[in-house]
Amino acid sequence: MAKKENMFEISAGEPVGVIAAQSLGEPATQMVLKAFHFAGLKSEIATAGLPRFVEIVDAKKKPATPFTYIAVDKSIAKDEQKLIRLAKKISEIKVSDISRRIVEEFSKGTIILRLDFEKLEANELTAKVVASKIEKLTKLSCTLEGMDVRITAGTRNIKQIRNMAVQLNKMTINGIDGAGRAAVREDPKTKELQLITDNSSLSGLLDVEGIDAYNIYTNDIFEEYRVFGVEAARNAIITELEKLLHESEISVSRRHLELLADAMTADGDVKNVGRRGLSGEKESVFARAAYEETVKHLINAAAFGESDPMQGVTENILMGKQIMLGTGRVELAVKKEDIAKSKKEKK
Amino acid sequence: MQAESVDFVKFGLFSPDQIRKLSVAKLTVPDTYNEDGYPIDGGLLDQRLGVIDPGLICKTCGARAKVCPGHFGHIELVRPVVHSEFSKVIYLLLQSTCQKCRRVLFDVDSETELAEKVKSVVEAELDTEKTGEEQSGEERVALFKKLKSIKKCPHCGEVQQKVRFEAPSYFYIGGTRMKPDEVKDMLEKVSNDDLRVMGVDPITSRPEYLVISALLVPPVNVRPSITLESGERSEDDLTHKLVDIMRINQRLEQNINAGAPQIIIDDLRELLQYHVTTYFNNEPTGMPPARHSSGRALKTLAQRLKGKEGRFRYNLSGKRVNYSARTVISVDPFLDVDEVGVPKIIAEKLTVPFYITEWNLAKAKELLKRTEYPIVMGIITKEKLRKRITDVNKEEILNALKAGDILERQITNGDIALFNRQPSLHRVSIMAHRIKIVPGRTFRINFCTTSPYNADFDGDEMNLHIPQTLEAQAEAKYLMQVQDQVFSPKNGEAIISNSEDGVTGAYLLTNDDTMLNKEDAIYLLTTAGIFELPEHEKNGMYSGKDVFSMLFPKKLNFDYKMRDGKYLRIKNGRMTDGIMKKETFGGGNLLLAKIALDFGNEVLKEFISKSARMSYAYAYLCGINVGVKEYTIPHAAKTEKDKLVAKAIENVAALVTKYKSRKLEAMVGYTLRKTLERMIIAELDHSRHLANQLMEEYMDKSNHAVMMAKAGSRGNTSNFVQMSIFLGQQATISGGRIRKSYMTNRVLPHLKPGDIGAVARGFAISNCYDGFDPIDMFMYSIGSRASMIYKGMLTAKSGYLQRRLINALQDYQVEEDFTVRDVHGNLIQTLYGGDKIDPVKVELAEVSKE
Repeated sequence: MAKKENMFEISAGEPVGVIAAQSLGEPATQMVLKAFHFAGLKSEIATAGLPRFVEIVDAKKKPATPFTYIAVDKSIAKDEQKLIRLAKKISEIKVSDISRRIVEEFSKGTIILRLDFEKLEANELTAKVVASKIEKLTKLSCTLEGMDVRITAGTRNIKQIRNMAVQLNKMTINGIDGAGRAAVREDPKTKELQLITDNSSLSGLLDVEGIDAYNIYTNDIFEEYRVFGVEAARNAIITELEKLLHESEISVSRRHLELLADAMTADGDVKNVGRRGLSGEKESVFARAAYEETVKHLINAAAFGESDPMQGVTENILMGKQIMLGTGRVELAVKKEDIAKSKKEKK
Repeated sequence: MQAESVDFVKFGLFSPDQIRKLSVAKLTVPDTYNEDGYPIDGGLLDQRLGVIDPGLICKTCGARAKVCPGHFGHIELVRPVVHSEFSKVIYLLLQSTCQKCRRVLFDVDSETELAEKVKSVVEAELDTEKTGEEQSGEERVALFKKLKSIKKCPHCGEVQQKVRFEAPSYFYIGGTRMKPDEVKDMLEKVSNDDLRVMGVDPITSRPEYLVISALLVPPVNVRPSITLESGERSEDDLTHKLVDIMRINQRLEQNINAGAPQIIIDDLRELLQYHVTTYFNNEPTGMPPARHSSGRALKTLAQRLKGKEGRFRYNLSGKRVNYSARTVISVDPFLDVDEVGVPKIIAEKLTVPFYITEWNLAKAKELLKRTEYPIVMGIITKEKLRKRITDVNKEEILNALKAGDILERQITNGDIALFNRQPSLHRVSIMAHRIKIVPGRTFRINFCTTSPYNADFDGDEMNLHIPQTLEAQAEAKYLMQVQDQVFSPKNGEAIISNSEDGVTGAYLLTNDDTMLNKEDAIYLLTTAGIFELPEHEKNGMYSGKDVFSMLFPKKLNFDYKMRDGKYLRIKNGRMTDGIMKKETFGGGNLLLAKIALDFGNEVLKEFISKSARMSYAYAYLCGINVGVKEYTIPHAAKTEKDKLVAKAIENVAALVTKYKSRKLEAMVGYTLRKTLERMIIAELDHSRHLANQLMEEYMDKSNHAVMMAKAGSRGNTSNFVQMSIFLGQQATISGGRIRKSYMTNRVLPHLKPGDIGAVARGFAISNCYDGFDPIDMFMYSIGSRASMIYKGMLTAKSGYLQRRLINALQDYQVEEDFTVRDVHGNLIQTLYGGDKIDPVKVELAEVSKE
């Protein structure tokens, strides 16, 4: 057999989308539920297998179990104590993490925050620091009474006080907003120490002194998109899918993942696969109606006077016509009618 | 009326005038049949709307039932009602236009970004007459969002009152409810130019048509009545609903004419609105659905279209076919991989067209004359007349036979057929096979083709389709045949290959010290379909490798480093080193890629089919079977096993004591308790590892189960361990050891509360051979049950995932310049896969590099 230069090239017209979809969808049935563990974090297990696959494809704004691996500067990489200190610096501590309860005194217009001494100790904080931090953040006067922080709300409106109390609970006392809890761990591959957090906040972390901003990894695709842009999001989708498939010991060619990621990010933002994304934004009314929310699409089409070019796969199936992909898009150069015509002309 | 081709479909709204023009009858009587069982004129089954009873003639077109396509009628509503399906659109329009001057609350000439965008879209729409560029959904949403927030009209300065919408069809402006006629008046005042700004095409969709004054009534064909056995007639749900509408409409008219109090009239109008609402969609928000007298909710227009069983997904996206068959499948190693065994009973019923030309007329006549299988079942004449061939008309048809006729011949050996097993998860779930007629009642396939179909023979059924046109046959033959599908588009690896006994047999045959006498060698070779002996012999004996090498093409050269470091070497079609096992012979092996690359798919197919037969034959000669004896371990192993188990339990207990006496040191990033847990798991893991070693030590090479494990065809060491040594640690789905679920801090009442030792947390020490301990049995069941439930959920979830993926990506294709685009030409990828290589050929490309 003659080996030609281009013998491995893909043929024009090949429906690569369907091939990619099938190649990803078929092994999804065989995905095993194998959770993997983290050291030192509250939730030790990360979503894996099919639930994670669905999450990526859905382009969820936040993964169910977000995490970030943070490499540190070479200078402190060997010093575990320094890393622990860095972790403490990053770790986001909310008021709710160090308090026992919040008491609202509506009649006096004050809110009392009862701090938990043990929790404060564990986080190396003192009531004084907390009180001054709250004062700084809320710009309200705070007085310290033992383990109680008394905050003068400056109003007696019940609704406002309640709102304040709720917001107070979510207030970050220490660390980086949205960074989550950080812990030290050993990279199983390189055996180097690094930090891990159970949330993702790249924008906040990048500026922290001591961390290696070039080697941060997060499984939060949207965070990558927000901080680094759509190309990064595309790569994140591919990396995450590849990792996922590798964990389930499923071998799928990378090109299929790339096509999916490119399709999801083709318009410059991350779109999900489904009725709120790729499928829901198709040009064809019929393609949308045949997929989900049939009535809604037909009604809107009628009300706005939309038109359907009838070129896609679904539309042609509905009409019982040939699909314009693969062998269906090729035509004869000389058709039967042409021969008949030329014969007639000869005569 | 029928269109030759459809260039585009334009959606729009019917105006009341268009409805009246389209209608063949104004319906006035809210009833169906009179006492004589005859359709009432002006009733809902008026004969001008078409006929469904055989024998009656349509009064509009004069055709009989089934020929008459049906004609629309209409009902004049005394007072207009809102088309509640469009309520949301009406709400948007009311919000977006000024309450005084009815201009859109937006200054298109203002110099904002949105205005520029809207302007360009509107201009484009006006330029191209029919199919203007659509305003994308996103921009539309953005525009409406903005319009909603505008409080003062930029044109007349009127301050806007709050517009409120209450499902399904009430509109309030500044607190007063609008009647449908008022809504209609408001919508009428909106100008065409303003509608274009909002993305509405005013030519086809004037918004005032969303308030209905003439209701279109579908033809009777759409809502046929059925006659029950008792002779009683049962009407379609739509007819019921239309009767309701007409009744209320009539009552409303009478009341208005009689000058009834306003409150009664308002009530009736509301009732009319309700009936019209449920006529369109019987799942209205905020009110109960209309019910049949039996209590069943009616299936009205929206219900007919919606969902999996609706018109779209059931009838339009899903097609039904003829020329197909379905039955149970079974194996037949004597079929080639590209064949399918079709029972004669099925072959006698399925037909394939024989297109008569002037050149094959004689052959056609010969075929027609046949009285035994395969015979001609029917004929489609040049005039498109379909006739069944019987003994009576055979002679007549034979004489009239001419070029252009098509004979329908029974299928026979060598015809091409598509074979499919559901669920059709990937493209190799449908492949083309050559038909081979077999006795019995089941379809038969070669075992090598089970993996692409994911089939087994425990009662699986499969479908067979006979392509009818020459184009379809050619496509099946040149693109879909089994030998062209050996390599999966998923990863380029071979999915059609030997497995199970096919691998075991080859493994045993190609073992270094396998020697065969002449008789056995001949048996193997002839079974495979080879009728010569290997060149090399030693004292009348043939080596297994040489016998197996007869399957290779003579010029095959192949070197491959196996995982164990040894080499598989094939030189000029003779296997000199290595062994055939899963890695080298089973799914995903590179040998098949090499054969395909150098010799083509036909040779590859021959190799797979023949090697499978030879392997089975040798496995048969060896008498491979597995029984209790394969899992009986010697006494010495047993004592060692007991020691091993005792040691593991002891070690864990020691860890626990260490933990309790606070002597355990925490690992980096772990709490003390978690450190303990990790160490216990590591300890038990180690004991399992030891058990594996123990098993490998005592495993007898002549043990058949061991042979299969070594060949990679079935089983592995951990299976032996579970069978003969212990089940090992049972885990929860989240990966940890089984935790207490019983109230007193233990898994079972038979354990001590708070026990965190090995056995108490699911380390099962019994094995299958000796039988399960009750506690181990329970622990094992926890895992089994969890994984079973999980599996059930997984299939449902992954099915939906695949539907979504396919729907999202189905329009993408590779263009001649290797870009990936959708059918509308939108660019997705600039170079397919980054290297433009066909996913099917990635393995071939890899092999070719060497």
